Amino acid sequence: MILAVETSCDDTAAAVVSVRGEVLSNVVASQGLLHARYGGVVPEVAARRHLEATGPAVADALERSGVSLDEVETVAATRGPGLIGALLVGFSAAKALAAARGLPFAPVDHLHGHVVAATLEPEPIAAPYLCLVASGGHSFLARVDECATYTVLGQTLDDAAGEAFDKGARLLGLGYPGGPAIDRAARDGDPEAFAFPRSAPGDGLDLSFSGLKTSLLYRIRDMGPEQLDARRGDLAASYQRAIVDALAARTIEALEREGLERLALGGGVAANSELRERLRSECEARGVAVWVPPRELCTDNAAMIAAAARFLEPMPYPDYLSLDASARLVSAA
Amino acid sequence: MVSPDRNVIGLDTSTAGVAACALRADGRFAERVPSPESLLGRPAHARELMPALAAVMEEAELGWSDLDLVAVSRGPGSFTGVRIGVATARGLGDAHGIPVTGVVSLRALAEGAGGDAAPEGVLALIDARRGEVFAGLYGGGEELWAPAALAPEALGRRLETLAGPPLAVGDGSLRFRAVLEAAGIRVAPEDSALHAVRGLSVCRLALRAPDEPALPLYLREPDARPMA
Ligand SMILES: [Zn+2]
Repeated sequence: MILAVETSCDDTAAAVVSVRGEVLSNVVASQGLLHARYGGVVPEVAARRHLEATGPAVADALERSGVSLDEVETVAATRGPGLIGALLVGFSAAKALAAARGLPFAPVDHLHGHVVAATLEPEPIAAPYLCLVASGGHSFLARVDECATYTVLGQTLDDAAGEAFDKGARLLGLGYPGGPAIDRAARDGDPEAFAFPRSAPGDGLDLSFSGLKTSLLYRIRDMGPEQLDARRGDLAASYQRAIVDALAARTIEALEREGLERLALGGGVAANSELRERLRSECEARGVAVWVPPRELCTDNAAMIAAAARFLEPMPYPDYLSLDASARLVSAA
Repeated sequence: MVSPDRNVIGLDTSTAGVAACALRADGRFAERVPSPESLLGRPAHARELMPALAAVMEEAELGWSDLDLVAVSRGPGSFTGVRIGVATARGLGDAHGIPVTGVVSLRALAEGAGGDAAPEGVLALIDARRGEVFAGLYGGGEELWAPAALAPEALGRRLETLAGPPLAVGDGSLRFRAVLEAAGIRVAPEDSALHAVRGLSVCRLALRAPDEPALPLYLREPDARPMA
């Protein structure tokens, strides 16, 4: 049994996962409402809340799984990347817990967690596959040949896709977090009403969303408040369509270039209904199978950290005692 | 000191240094006291804390499952440092279902400099950044001032009501020595061990007041304003 802790951003998470990849518990204490008041994640506020919430989340994860501490064989925790003050809370607690039990410890790259979330039961994806990870903090395409590591094929050069949703929602006066708010507003809108740019920078597989956000800003500036009220649905739908188009185009391009026949989605933006449907239909037409893990495994969670730990060689006690968390961890090529 | 009857591990990470102590039920203890240089250096709590704790446990010939109590300094001090300390202490406590008790860092600092060293009382000062110190005044085992964040210039005025000048200790007193001495406050010598919060003091205070929560004492709100 693997006990995992994740505190890289604004969710305090703990999970128990079996070595085979069955998720026995997956607890997430979200701080979303706390940060909504500030219009975004405040690092010091997040770190303070993590400290209150980590112990209860771990206790809850153990209780729900029906697994006792005696049955835990490995403790895993997110080492980075993320907000350093937030990371240090979960990482320190997990390291101390592992040490005091004399257990092996697995420091995990948060992005590796997103990439292998789809390898969890009951329908695990098998390598090789392509993974599109799109969330508030990251947007990248990764190739997985063996699950212990991954190769980044392309990534955003500026904003993450989730950030583009957040910034767009703010410009449209739709609240935070922006993804679900824009998704909702887009339902009554015409996605063809406005032509926003679909930027595809360079010859590689990188992404860029900052031009899109600027373009939305100009459109809104040209309108009066009444016109904005009348066209908000159309703007949201067209803006969302542009983000989905950009992500889908790069994903299809990556599948074709790499000759891969399986695709996994990860990250909170993977929960976006339009993106899911688009990739499903495009992949079906090409004979590519798509794995979309349940929402709670796509957004930040600790089960995916345990998922990654399964493929790593955990460090035996006491080799890990001096390990530090890292805001800018880069473990993959 | 009478024997504590319990095996206690104590730690402090409220300054740039790391303090650790394993106090055995029979009264023997092993300790790591941060050097005066480390108090003014770059903090490395996450890298140094667990190795220091493991080292004092080994020296005291204790296993992790032998512990009865975890004692942790709850600040005030470095926000990140205190969180690493409290998170670590709770992890150790949860591992074997033992209680975790919080201790005010300034009180532990004063405890280490108490008695003969400072008959007039101890002014415990921890650097609070932004030109301020976290300050607490202790005498005869009592808290005379509740911990607060203050400009060092304001300390002289607050001390005018006292009979004699207390002894100032802590990284805050090292950093603001000139201001403090100009106000007539005695500061312990540069190389004195009294400037460090000691793990042994954290252990002893926790045994005396076992019900204090292991929650950080920040004394400052986060720098963020809710949107209008
Ligand atoms: Zn993430």
